[in-house]
Amino acid sequence: MTVKGNVRFIQGNEAMAEGALAAGARFFAGYPITPSSEIAEVSSRRLPKLGGVYVQMEDEIGSIAAVIGASVAGKKSFTATSGPGFSLMQENLGVAVMAEVPCVIINVQRSGPSTGLATKPAQGDVMQCRWGTHGDHGIIVLSPSSVQDCYDLTIKAFSLAEEYRTPVILLADEIVGHMREKVVFQELQTDEIKVRKAPGCSPEYYKPFRLGEGVTPLACYGGEHVFRVSGSTHDEWGFACSRPGNAEKYIRHYTEKIENNRDRIVLTREYNLSDAEYTIVTFGCTTRSALEAMYIARSTGKRVGVLELVTLWPFAEESVMEACQNARAVIVPEMNLGQVLREVQRVVGRNIPVVGVNKVDSKAIRPAEILDKIREVETCLV
Amino acid sequence: MKDRWEIILSGVGGQGLILSGTILGEAAVVYEGKNATLTSSYGTETRGTFTKSDIIISSGDIYFPEVTKADIVLALAPVAYDRCISDMDKDAVLIYDSDLITDVKNTGVRQYGCPITQTARRLGNATAANLVALGIIARMTGVVSETSVIKAIGDRFPAKSQVAELNIKAFKGGVIICKINLYTGQGVGWK
Repeated sequence: MTVKGNVRFIQGNEAMAEGALAAGARFFAGYPITPSSEIAEVSSRRLPKLGGVYVQMEDEIGSIAAVIGASVAGKKSFTATSGPGFSLMQENLGVAVMAEVPCVIINVQRSGPSTGLATKPAQGDVMQCRWGTHGDHGIIVLSPSSVQDCYDLTIKAFSLAEEYRTPVILLADEIVGHMREKVVFQELQTDEIKVRKAPGCSPEYYKPFRLGEGVTPLACYGGEHVFRVSGSTHDEWGFACSRPGNAEKYIRHYTEKIENNRDRIVLTREYNLSDAEYTIVTFGCTTRSALEAMYIARSTGKRVGVLELVTLWPFAEESVMEACQNARAVIVPEMNLGQVLREVQRVVGRNIPVVGVNKVDSKAIRPAEILDKIREVETCLV
Repeated sequence: MKDRWEIILSGVGGQGLILSGTILGEAAVVYEGKNATLTSSYGTETRGTFTKSDIIISSGDIYFPEVTKADIVLALAPVAYDRCISDMDKDAVLIYDSDLITDVKNTGVRQYGCPITQTARRLGNATAANLVALGIIARMTGVVSETSVIKAIGDRFPAKSQVAELNIKAFKGGVIICKINLYTGQGVGWK
């Protein structure tokens, strides 16, 4: 077979940076941190050549602030970090939620808490993504399991960010971020790249936070439509407003604009679920161990299926329910102490055993460990 | 011919083993249409401590990207040799740099010492030892053609530059070592 120009053998991190550029991102602000540094590296090299801007900031607080600013000024913007930096970003992540600013935050997870094991993988930030910034809100989180996913889902993340005027988190991990693998850079269809719509009304009537009739277009700073962006609870013009009814309306809106569109946002992948006695629910790097375990189990006649949560938040309640309701047991392997496990238990209920394979020793979960758990559960069920 | 290879490249940080693995993977994926994964494990130090890269090349799908049953293990430093020899699958073959590793342990594992660093030095620079090692592995396994590897090396470095020439020379040196040392009566090779 011969060379194809768009087939590459690159790291997940490189693929995420390329995906961002393909999606039209032209602004990156960040503070390089292992295991995400290659995203900053590639962006710093490539963005200036595309007329974009790369800024290495003083820290992660400044990084996400700059990303919010650039997005409001009309550029698709993103940053990339890992646990310690992601912790620093939480406050301004809330600003992006409150001001409904589209942006993409890539978190390549490493072992924590705190500085943890800088070069080692983990999946411990699932709940931080959901609830790391304070107050009620909805959030979209995507989790890649291959280098191809790193490319494709970054493009998807930018589309969702624009469509729902929200920060979107791409929750990768050290294994997927640093792994080199085959990736095909597909020609993008025009509908895959979301272009920001300009407000249709004249500047004096522009309400940047108008509710109802879907998501209000976001004007660009520097244009005719002058508006205010604030982290404080505001009215439809963007001015601070402390009326209880107004607060109630907007706080519900931040959750509902995501949760009420679950069927349009949530992506899952199903493998051999139709006859599965044992369902593995998985995400990110662990998906690969789960699939290997599934094929080994199938080769010995054991009916195992896999549900991969490509979208982690909003949680794929309907898909999880459907994938698990006929199973004898559900296995949830993850490199944390049970963050997705408890979500699956919440959805599935008490009638079906839902058990975790949890590992926090910085080593990938091996297929054999999942198979051992299935055997263990099998013995208990007999 | 085998259609799935699992290879471990181990040494210390700074030797360029991830680069060797990347070139091998690129040769397989870009020039031969196969699938490959490369994962690495290393410490927080910039260089000098144990590193390990797992590379899997297959014509089929690759799920779990770490080596579970190695065909070939390369050790380019004593620390890597000591770690690998104690953890070897009985069917795997260990290739080590006999210039750097002198304390050889006899554990019943099939192992072959090759003058990797010396060859690189003779060809121009000891730092090209990683490419000599790549030549040995490529020839031993036949997992990718030599032409594909040379093309992949060419993609990495400016065309016809000294560094490209050195790396190609080192790679070819490894291929020759393999032909001379490993195929003379030792019965290694799966082709």
